[in-house]
Amino acid sequence: MSFESKKPLRTWSHLAEMRKKPSEYDIVSRKLHYSTNNPDAPWELSPDSPMNLWYKQYRNASPLKHDNWDAFTDPDQLVYRTYNMMQDGQESYVQGLFDQFNEREHDQMIRDGWQQTLARCYAPLRYLFHCLQMSSAYVQQMAPASTISNCCILQTADSLRWLTHTAYRTHELSLTYGDVGLGQQERALWENEPGWQGLRELMEKQLTAFDWGEAFVSLNLVIKPMIIEGVLKPLQQKAWENNDTLLPLLIDSQLKDAERHNRWAKALVKQALENPDNEAVIKGWIEKWQPLADKAAAAYVTMLSDELNCGLYVERSASLRASMLTV
Amino acid sequence: MAMHPRKDWYELTRSTNWTPSYVTEEQLFPEQMSGHMGITLDKWESYDEPYKTSYPEYVSIQREKDAGAYSVKAALERAQIYENADPGWISTLKAHYGAIAVGEYAAVTGEGRMARFSKAPGNRNMAAFGMMDELRHGQIQLFFPHEYCKKDRQFDWAWRAYQSNEWAAIAAKHFFDDIITGRDAISVAIMLTFSFETGFTNMQFLGLAADAADAGDYTFSSLISSIQTDESRHAQQGGPALQVLIANGKKEEAQKKVDIAIWRAWRLFAVLTGPTMDYYTPLEHRQQSFKEFMYEWIIGQFERALIDLGLDKPWYWDLFLKDIDELHHSYHMGVWYWRTTAWWNPAAGVTPEERDWLEEKYPGWNKRWGRCWDVITENVIEGRMELVSPETLPTICNMSQIPLVGIPGDDWEVKVFSLEHNGRLYHFGSEVDRWIFQQDPVQYQNHLNVVDRFLAGQIQPMTLEGALQYMGFQCVEEMGKDAHDFAWAEKCKPEMKKSA
Ligand SMILES: [Fe+2]
Ligand SMILES: [Fe+2]
Repeated sequence: MSFESKKPLRTWSHLAEMRKKPSEYDIVSRKLHYSTNNPDAPWELSPDSPMNLWYKQYRNASPLKHDNWDAFTDPDQLVYRTYNMMQDGQESYVQGLFDQFNEREHDQMIRDGWQQTLARCYAPLRYLFHCLQMSSAYVQQMAPASTISNCCILQTADSLRWLTHTAYRTHELSLTYGDVGLGQQERALWENEPGWQGLRELMEKQLTAFDWGEAFVSLNLVIKPMIIEGVLKPLQQKAWENNDTLLPLLIDSQLKDAERHNRWAKALVKQALENPDNEAVIKGWIEKWQPLADKAAAAYVTMLSDELNCGLYVERSASLRASMLTV
Repeated sequence: MAMHPRKDWYELTRSTNWTPSYVTEEQLFPEQMSGHMGITLDKWESYDEPYKTSYPEYVSIQREKDAGAYSVKAALERAQIYENADPGWISTLKAHYGAIAVGEYAAVTGEGRMARFSKAPGNRNMAAFGMMDELRHGQIQLFFPHEYCKKDRQFDWAWRAYQSNEWAAIAAKHFFDDIITGRDAISVAIMLTFSFETGFTNMQFLGLAADAADAGDYTFSSLISSIQTDESRHAQQGGPALQVLIANGKKEEAQKKVDIAIWRAWRLFAVLTGPTMDYYTPLEHRQQSFKEFMYEWIIGQFERALIDLGLDKPWYWDLFLKDIDELHHSYHMGVWYWRTTAWWNPAAGVTPEERDWLEEKYPGWNKRWGRCWDVITENVIEGRMELVSPETLPTICNMSQIPLVGIPGDDWEVKVFSLEHNGRLYHFGSEVDRWIFQQDPVQYQNHLNVVDRFLAGQIQPMTLEGALQYMGFQCVEEMGKDAHDFAWAEKCKPEMKKSA
């Protein structure tokens, strides 16, 4: 037999050429998708099985192309272990807020009338957050590198985190304000209230954008920046004005997650732009999704308050997005 | 009271179904990805996951679990398991990590499928935690074996097996892709969580954990029992999905998915877990036989779970029970004989004391597999090594991707179950494997097993060496050898003389 004899390696064979010593992140995150090896059959099944056709169409044939997606690195280099440590800390902080504000009867002290706004403009957010959760789970299963998928796993969990905060607060508020529909009317509002229809239309359509690249661009470069600047921040501002000091602090904690999502999205765009053809591809998708997102933000802000300047928030989300596109 | 208990607000976290109107329900949840079988969104809202948790509890509990598992590892670094354990145990570790770690990572995608495409809101949330769990299982089972890379090239396969075309890796991928990544959300709930995780992972993780603790490998023992605590949570996603299907007149379809998944899991476990439990694990550390584990975790468990749900035992139950007595002994002999093609070193496991144990656990073992091992042992003792390694190609099952084996002894037979479909001839290792193919040919029909690829000229040169290269072996140190370098044959010498 003409196989050579070889010495053991200090790490996985695919990392052995790395110049630096591989980190825990490198060891447990890189090159874990075996479905990108055989372009004809992503999964070890008939090449024309329905799921293989799905992956060949929506992942392998995506117009967003790069020779080596596996080179992607999460700028935060989170692994499962460190994510839980970090988020357990964040949740202890948030639970401390809930606990103390409850102790001090925060909900009784908000400005009268704000409870109606919370019921109408805050509580239904759990549907929006759930859409982010579903959409992140889709990008996870379709992304062409494990390091990209992993960012999406955490983004899915973060979205469920936000949804859970919203459910908790909806319940808690309903104990003080039992007559404004809290915990009762969110679905009807999400389905019918004009201020939510832009967001619902956007999310329903986005959830059916199956090309992985388009799903990523629409979710992380268009929708999430819009939600930060056009939903969460105006909500935060109105809360301050109405003696609701808890909600802005809660949103601040959520924005920490959102900023992390922006960091990995920006890093992925940077990598994608190494292939000059991708610029037009990304631009095309942004142009396709931006109008729906702007419309959604405007409708939401208008519902929140007729004193707010919709244009300002739309502008801010545009500049946040632009900052993620600059290499 | 300052904090509100979970039960007061949990319902809101899963009140997340709505009626879409900008796209249709079918566009939002396409049957191909969702597997809803035409059952509408409102009907799926009755789905009630028995094991409930919430985000803050999850991150807190999981943080503690990880702290436990990683600190056991750190504390026992100096126990030098690799240096001190029996080579058979090291083979068990290698087979386990290679077959499991990246497969667990792939399960993230199955959980993701449910998190996105299940019409049941409770399922979508639990699957989001499931994605996290499987990320954990992939990452921790890469981190733990990584330290052995520098000692032994075969440990690279903890990462590399799934990237390769090695036969056992193909068998594992063909199975997991058929029940996890290559299926719709509801099929994943039934085939992965209900059928596979409920019983089989218990056996792999708790069964092996018991053996590991006995063998003094507390790091591995605490690692895999910690993993199993996650499995037993997210495994409970399948039951309520089955209830929804049954309540809406889809019992037959649900039953079929269960039957397919259990059989396929069984075949893979028979080739990977069977030999590790009954042959590789040193005799003194075997807690129970593979058969006893099967009866405890699979037979008892499924009979109960299936009946409770109103499903039936799979139609092949009698064949299954017969298989549990026999199949893995033949698989083991095949793997040992073809050991060069494995990324671990199979232990023969047939010293006189081990044979006594096998005879006790499997009455008649000596008359059947024992006779073949007699011949092998004699050849080893006489130094006729060319007779104890392979020269020919086996026939490989087009479903399990595992070579066809016969049951030796007086009733020796290798029965091939063939099928002609669209002008191609397929071979299967059992009636059930063939039946599975017939249920859904489109899922399998143009897949080639390793021997098909060889005969199609995809593997060059068409020699054993070419095949090993194709399978991804990079050097001789990676190819399987007898775990104990045939030392066991020496122990058989006196017995052999007696019988001669
Ligand atoms: Fe797992
Ligand atoms: Fe699992």
